[in-house]
Amino acid sequence: MKRLPLISTLFLFAMALITLFHEASQGAIRITEIHSSNSPLVTFRVVLRAGEINSPAGKEGLNALTAYVIAQGGTQELSYQQVVEKLYPWAANINVQVDQEITTFIGTVHRDHLDAFYKLFTDLLLHPRFDESDFSRVKDLGLNYLKNSLRSTSDEQLGKQALNTMLYANHPYKNTEFGTVQGLTTSTLDDVKAYYKKTYTQGNFWFGIAGGYPKSLIEKIKTDFSMLPEVPFSEVTLPKPEPINNLEVMVVEKPARAFAISMGHPLSLTRKEKDFYALLVANSYFGEHRTFNGVLMNRLRGDRGLNYGDYSYVEKFVGGVGSGNVFPELNTPLRQQFFSIWLRPVQPENTHFAIRNALFEFKNFVEQGLSKEDFEKTKKFVLNYSKLWAGTLSRRLGYQMDSEFYGTEYFIDRIDKELKSLSVEEVNAAVKKYLDYKNVKIAVVVDEGKGNEIMNSMISNMISPIKYASPVSPNILEQDKFIEAFQLSINKEESKVVKANELFEK
Amino acid sequence: MRFLLYLMLCLVPFALVIARGSDESNKIFPYPINQVTLDNGLNVISIPFDSPGIIAVWTVVRAGSRNEVEPGKSGFAHFFEHMMFRGTEKYSKDAYNEMLKSIGADNNAFTTDDYTAYHTLASSDALETILDIESDRFMNLKYTEEDFKTEAGAILGEYNKNYSNPDMTIYEKLRENAFEKHTYKHTTMGFLKDIQDMPNQYQYSLTFFDRWYRPENCALIIVGDFEQAKLMELVKKYYSNWKRGNYTLDVPLDVPQKEEKTINLPWKAKTLPQVSMGYRGPGFNDKEIDMPAMDVLSQVLFSETSELFNKLVVEEQLVEYIYGGQQDHRDPELFMVDARVKDKSNIERVRAEIDKAIEQAKTTPVSAERLASIKSHMKYLFAMGLDNPNGIARTISHYVQLTGNPESVNNIYSLYEKITVEDLMGVAKKYLNKTNRTTVIMTQEEGQQ
Repeated sequence: MKRLPLISTLFLFAMALITLFHEASQGAIRITEIHSSNSPLVTFRVVLRAGEINSPAGKEGLNALTAYVIAQGGTQELSYQQVVEKLYPWAANINVQVDQEITTFIGTVHRDHLDAFYKLFTDLLLHPRFDESDFSRVKDLGLNYLKNSLRSTSDEQLGKQALNTMLYANHPYKNTEFGTVQGLTTSTLDDVKAYYKKTYTQGNFWFGIAGGYPKSLIEKIKTDFSMLPEVPFSEVTLPKPEPINNLEVMVVEKPARAFAISMGHPLSLTRKEKDFYALLVANSYFGEHRTFNGVLMNRLRGDRGLNYGDYSYVEKFVGGVGSGNVFPELNTPLRQQFFSIWLRPVQPENTHFAIRNALFEFKNFVEQGLSKEDFEKTKKFVLNYSKLWAGTLSRRLGYQMDSEFYGTEYFIDRIDKELKSLSVEEVNAAVKKYLDYKNVKIAVVVDEGKGNEIMNSMISNMISPIKYASPVSPNILEQDKFIEAFQLSINKEESKVVKANELFEK
Repeated sequence: MRFLLYLMLCLVPFALVIARGSDESNKIFPYPINQVTLDNGLNVISIPFDSPGIIAVWTVVRAGSRNEVEPGKSGFAHFFEHMMFRGTEKYSKDAYNEMLKSIGADNNAFTTDDYTAYHTLASSDALETILDIESDRFMNLKYTEEDFKTEAGAILGEYNKNYSNPDMTIYEKLRENAFEKHTYKHTTMGFLKDIQDMPNQYQYSLTFFDRWYRPENCALIIVGDFEQAKLMELVKKYYSNWKRGNYTLDVPLDVPQKEEKTINLPWKAKTLPQVSMGYRGPGFNDKEIDMPAMDVLSQVLFSETSELFNKLVVEEQLVEYIYGGQQDHRDPELFMVDARVKDKSNIERVRAEIDKAIEQAKTTPVSAERLASIKSHMKYLFAMGLDNPNGIARTISHYVQLTGNPESVNNIYSLYEKITVEDLMGVAKKYLNKTNRTTVIMTQEEGQQ
């Protein structure tokens, strides 16, 4: 095959597959389509413009509960088990992804079975069975996720969710995507039916489709979804997140062998803003997810062997915990984003040092920014790397819909466009403008009975030498002397020690 | 169906075909496979795929935790995978990372029981750079003892990050008890005491590299947009000087299990009870019916369309989930059955239902319609994973590490087509017996809220 320069060939990779791409917003239901006549598969990403923020007070989790009863339930014609049996020989799948602002129903099928699959998929959405048995099974799943999985068996996810509750304490984003234990417990099948009736409307549905489908299907989708109530989409109003005053710490106690740490603060920009792309480059330099590019990874893991990984993010990034995907997640857009640092579990005795080390690097990053050389290298990396993110039609569709959510052009193209004209001065100015190492919320998951010890150590700025299993070089030890005494301004009044069982309760 | 294939569920193909029975399409794998063996024994497999400008380069080392035959060395294959990122004289760790960064590559590695894979996804234009830096580290890896010790901390961190999930401990206990001699007795992470001793094993790490990171024990797999002649020219340029090794592995095989083993595992943190059972099953073989028959049997017994799933998950809702199946391994490993039980009082009831379903599978033939549905499911599921260069490289790597031959993928799916109801009852009788089984029952410790 002929070779073109790197950037353009990668760009063509995505485009070459596509024979038609447009947003068909005329008609009642919004449709985003990527048609590729030579693709044997068809992917659906049907977005409901409602998420956990739409769950009513006292019924937190109702959005997720409703979505799962639909996606893992039956249709009016078929029971759940009959749906499963239909899908099985085609190896077709129907999944749902719940989030704060949107809920996404995802289906994939070989086009050999498109017609029958489409009927099933849309029957689930338009004519759900709402069987009591499906409801109780799904409700058990949700409650077990909150009470056992999140609070107990995934410390890293617990740390991330604990940070979320801190960042958005009095804000619609405050709950997990699955709500709260009490909200789920008190929700009934009648609540689900009422939520469905109110929320699953023409104005809220947004149909995404990609692959080798017949064009006539688009008209059918419009007709089929026109049966839903014609209620226009209306957004939940979001207040500004509360300001952070110095370092606010929440230590979460549960049985734990090693201690997980998440920290961050809200950000006042998203993919729509130009400065986001400056931060994207800066963040790649500081903490690119699951690579050895980042400062955090090299200083904490590479030099010191503190843990398995250390990363940072300029928007919600759910991949990485229990997910093999290393590229930015699809269909989890937020109107208000946040910056975060994720330290994977460290040995208990090094917890205070690890927090200091991360904040020390964060301070240096904000104050010093990137050198011209680091900037050029990182910009080149992000330009090339981002071209790998949309490697399938399904992923391209997901990024396209997210771009439309943010009101901007296709994400990967926007990165290309913005980065090509970006300067190191713009990047460093954006870092100083948006990132704040002084006012940060920190969630730490520790072993039972260790909370006060960690908290007191942090509040009193006790010297916290790192304990190495084996010697490191003298220059690292030299720097450690400074880091172990690095002063942290903990806001004692806003900091607390809690039990994991107290989180996500109501 | 194998776990590997489940992992591919999220992928969407754009160039796959489903075999329909003609001579030409009898092979499940729809793309041409080029295979060349260099004089030094390196197995070079290249698969052209319509991904303009993108290429996946995988290096498969046929050494995993199965190779850790010496006491005190469990987890070493995985540890060594980490050390492979620590640089050479030509390209230091930082220089290696800088080169990857400059080409914008997605680059990582993983270790399993039987093999270790190093994978890079990048622009086709970066092919020579990738082959240069990859061949260099496979031939000339060099790290200091200090680097070695520091990396041991990251390994412990990896163990720690997994530890809060009880599944890891359950699997550790299951294997430790199910095997007597075979290295499958430990997980790929290794025994904790061996992980803690890793900083002291610098000399052994040099031995490990010398034994296994040799061309005759490796395969280079390239998928995507490349020109074959140019590719082979570059491969010869960068890999021809790699010297063969001469170490032979002698993995101690276990004698057949004679009695059932049951382990009660209390868990300190909050969790639902879990029942995990491992039956000593067959090893992978693409010429014998046992392993593929076990795969189909796992669908009969435990898929979402099985009677047992319907009863326990959907109708009576006694368990949150149940699944069963066996991953491909070079030597006989475990056919696993896992169930997360909602209420402790139902553990025995759930175990009895599983036993009942298994006993029934030994004597009651599955219907022809059901068998056809399962075969269709497996075929479509396989095809749906082949949508991108990395997915294809992963699939081929899996079969190459098992047999050295990428055609094993076609062989095994050809065997699936031939499986009869008698085969299913046959392997159920042969392998799924209580005397052949180890069970771990994990429950939350008393007093935990």
